[in-house]
Amino acid sequence: MTMARASRWAIALWAGALVGCAIVIARTEFTADMSAFLPRSPTPVQQILVQQLRDGVVSRLILIAVDGGTPAALAQTSMRMAAELRKHPAEFAAVNNGEDSALDLDREFLWRNRYLLSPAVAPGHFSAPALRDALEENLQLIGSPAGALLRRILPQDPTGELLRLIAQFEGVARPEVREGVWFSPDGSRALLVAQTRAAGYDIDAQERALNLIRAAFAGGGAAATSAGQQLLVSGPGVFSVNSRARIKADALRFSVIATALVAGLLLVLYRSPRVLLLGLVPVASGVLAGVAAVSIGFGTVHGITLGFGVTLIGEAVDYAIYLFTQITPGTPPADSLAQIWPTLRLGLLTSICGFAAMLLSGFPGLGQLGLFSIAGLVAAVLVTRFVLPVLLPPGFTVRAATGLGPGVTALAASARRLRWPLIAVTVVCIMLLSAQRSQLWSDDLASLSPIAASERTLDEQLRRDIGAPDVRYLVVVDAADADAALAGSEKVAAHLDAAVAQSRLAGFESPAAYLPSSAAQRARQAAIPAPAVLRENLREAQRGLPFRAGLFEPFVRDAAAAATQAPLQRASLDGTALALKVDSLLVKRTASATTAGGWTAMLPLRGVVDAAALERDLKNPSDHAGVLIDLRRESDALYQSYRSEIVTYSLIGAVAIVLLLLVSLRSLRRVAAVLSPLAAAVIVTLCLLLASGNALTIFHIVGLLLVVAVGSNYALFFEREAADAGQRERTLVSLLFANVTTLIGFGLLAFSKVPLLHAIGGTVAIGAFLSLVFSAVLIGRPRAALARPA
Amino acid sequence: MFVFALAAGGAAVAAETPVWDIEQLMQGLSKVPAAKGKFVERKYLAMLTAPLDSSGTLVYTAPGRLEKNTLAPKPERLVLDQDKLTLEYPDRGQRRVLALQNYPVVWAFVESIRSTLAGDYQTLNRFYRASVAGGEEQWRLSLKPVDPKMQAVVQEIRIGGSHNRVRTIEILETQGDRSVMTITEDGP
Repeated sequence: MTMARASRWAIALWAGALVGCAIVIARTEFTADMSAFLPRSPTPVQQILVQQLRDGVVSRLILIAVDGGTPAALAQTSMRMAAELRKHPAEFAAVNNGEDSALDLDREFLWRNRYLLSPAVAPGHFSAPALRDALEENLQLIGSPAGALLRRILPQDPTGELLRLIAQFEGVARPEVREGVWFSPDGSRALLVAQTRAAGYDIDAQERALNLIRAAFAGGGAAATSAGQQLLVSGPGVFSVNSRARIKADALRFSVIATALVAGLLLVLYRSPRVLLLGLVPVASGVLAGVAAVSIGFGTVHGITLGFGVTLIGEAVDYAIYLFTQITPGTPPADSLAQIWPTLRLGLLTSICGFAAMLLSGFPGLGQLGLFSIAGLVAAVLVTRFVLPVLLPPGFTVRAATGLGPGVTALAASARRLRWPLIAVTVVCIMLLSAQRSQLWSDDLASLSPIAASERTLDEQLRRDIGAPDVRYLVVVDAADADAALAGSEKVAAHLDAAVAQSRLAGFESPAAYLPSSAAQRARQAAIPAPAVLRENLREAQRGLPFRAGLFEPFVRDAAAAATQAPLQRASLDGTALALKVDSLLVKRTASATTAGGWTAMLPLRGVVDAAALERDLKNPSDHAGVLIDLRRESDALYQSYRSEIVTYSLIGAVAIVLLLLVSLRSLRRVAAVLSPLAAAVIVTLCLLLASGNALTIFHIVGLLLVVAVGSNYALFFEREAADAGQRERTLVSLLFANVTTLIGFGLLAFSKVPLLHAIGGTVAIGAFLSLVFSAVLIGRPRAALARPA
Repeated sequence: MFVFALAAGGAAVAAETPVWDIEQLMQGLSKVPAAKGKFVERKYLAMLTAPLDSSGTLVYTAPGRLEKNTLAPKPERLVLDQDKLTLEYPDRGQRRVLALQNYPVVWAFVESIRSTLAGDYQTLNRFYRASVAGGEEQWRLSLKPVDPKMQAVVQEIRIGGSHNRVRTIEILETQGDRSVMTITEDGP
């Protein structure tokens, strides 16, 4: 009766655990945050960039393009959409399409604050000789085509601070204006930029924003569509929304297909609906346990993890297949299980070694997949071991499709003949791989991105159109607070101005250009003479020039007001497009394990001629203000460090598997026998991947590790001494079906558009299949040796 | 009396047409491939106590290039080519290039002259309501801006000429400032 009591406990524990998992899952937050697949522990600079990608202004920008149709019609759509979107201030912080209304606000801000913003305002700038120069220049300028406009502002701004500010920002690339709105350089697309209030990772909010954009576009109804116009959107938020939709669709579709295929296989194999249901029990338990474990371990469950769950369907069902196939009439299920349990357990442990390498890697995303698989497999094995035998009715036998047995056995026996050809193929593959050693790897960090290549292309195109060229170099200034970061930017800007003057640099942007540090603002205020002095200087400067007396009295008034006005704050920029600039160039750092909290100013550089010289300038120890960052170098370094990390963990995983085999099998010869087909499978898989035009990414490495982890199950069963010919035949059949289900799980993922799932799925499907075949070839025994040796 | 013929050949307007109108003026102007001449300009500006005089040369090449070289009182060079306006002030070593699309008012200004010289009625109509008075021998083209921004600056631009030659350009601004440019063509 202890047996029965133990069974009851097993069932109760199982049921309790399932309820627990269900409760955890019900409270789980599912995400599609793309940064989960970006590095977790990069350098502080990289951390800033990743943080920007997650919730910075950059993550809130949606690039919108309308193409197809005449420029006039496109401009009309652009204006209509902008007006419509501006009606939703709760969703959009700003909508820019180049219309003057938005630009006017910027000009207005520059105009009102010209004396605080202009770097030219310094002691002596309003002296009589300096004013004289300015007035002579103006006398010439007021006659030019722009003169009519200049005459409007001349009495208030004789030193031309507004023009200086506008010229300063002119070098900054911006879209072309046609028909009053932004257009791509070729005039084929009208462009808009919307800034959402919600961060890029808030996918629900991003989706609402996207729906509003689509509605605003369709709002014109027949007009827009009849003109053949097409809406294009891009940006981090769009990626997140699309990825989530795609992962959702993939995960759902693949789960349904995988379940149907596996169920169909079970039905064909056992011709019993009851066996089918029993076979799915470990699978369902494993999936629930996996999701619950990730939810507890990571706080959220990534959509990609669910997509990866498909593989668990194919893996977890194997254990039930091994069990069912081993059951022979007259032997209780628990006894049949006891016979294969050591092999099953060892197979599980090797799989865990493989997935543990993912768990330890620097990718939070991969870590989720690892934890999910480990928890899922452990749950599935435990359910197969302790729950499934209890659920089987007494005297349960399964009628496996025995017709396959002899054929499979014969095939396996004859596979031996391929031993030498296989060794030859493997050697050739090794030679090919070593010949191509230098070009095995994809060096592009983008290859890790879960964003589809077509989306990336569109994004690059729109970014180019909008005049936001890819930033490669930027100077980063870290400081304790925003004002100190701005002051640091001003110091850096002095160096950069010198570099621009020497033509070593085409230009740069700085947040301090739009929001000077309070020290700079105070210095500029101090440089403005008292009204009486300024009037006297003007009188002297005007002598002999035809300007009317008292013409510049408005200037005296404005200058006096500027000298005493409250300094500009970040809030002073609200409502202008410049606010967006400042927010993207001056960001708050959240404190983390490796960096203190504070503020970071970023100064993107254009047209860098000599990066090394710039770096030396900035490293000048007397005022160590900023650090030059080469983003390409950073991202390359990031990718390299990532790759070596994954390779290291994969090697550790592989070593762990070998040690595990050594401890369990206690024989070098047997370990070598188990490993040889796996090694051959990994090598040939690598060759096949390269031959089909893949550059290897770290996801392929992970896939190869899983080939070893999963394939070792087959090799172990092959290597295992069979009690009799019947058991060997049953083992072969169960291996064949276990392999087919694995192929179903991983093979389906190879059809996913998510690069990670595609790479791992394809690699494991090929590798697992080869592992089985190679195990038959290299470990298979001749028919005569099938009986237990004496 | 200055006479400035922008056309080297001076192609005659079809004589059989009974009524001479703006379309014909434009058509005649559009046949001029290139022209070169001197200008004298006088500006009456409210902010100055005396008028501002300047002089220099003009070079036009059909259909889109116009060069204005001011020689006195200070050198200044304006080059209008397609959609770019280059301003150069040699004695200050300054040079600026404006994309006209970004400066609608400046664009309207330069287009009043360029489109007239090119006989580009379509472009002219985009910026101005154009009407013509007088006859082929002595015509006066009146341009009134359509864009409110331009209306705020310019009241009317009057261009006077004879056949396909432009002789005077007068700009009347809303706030009372005005300028008159008189053009003399170089000998053929």
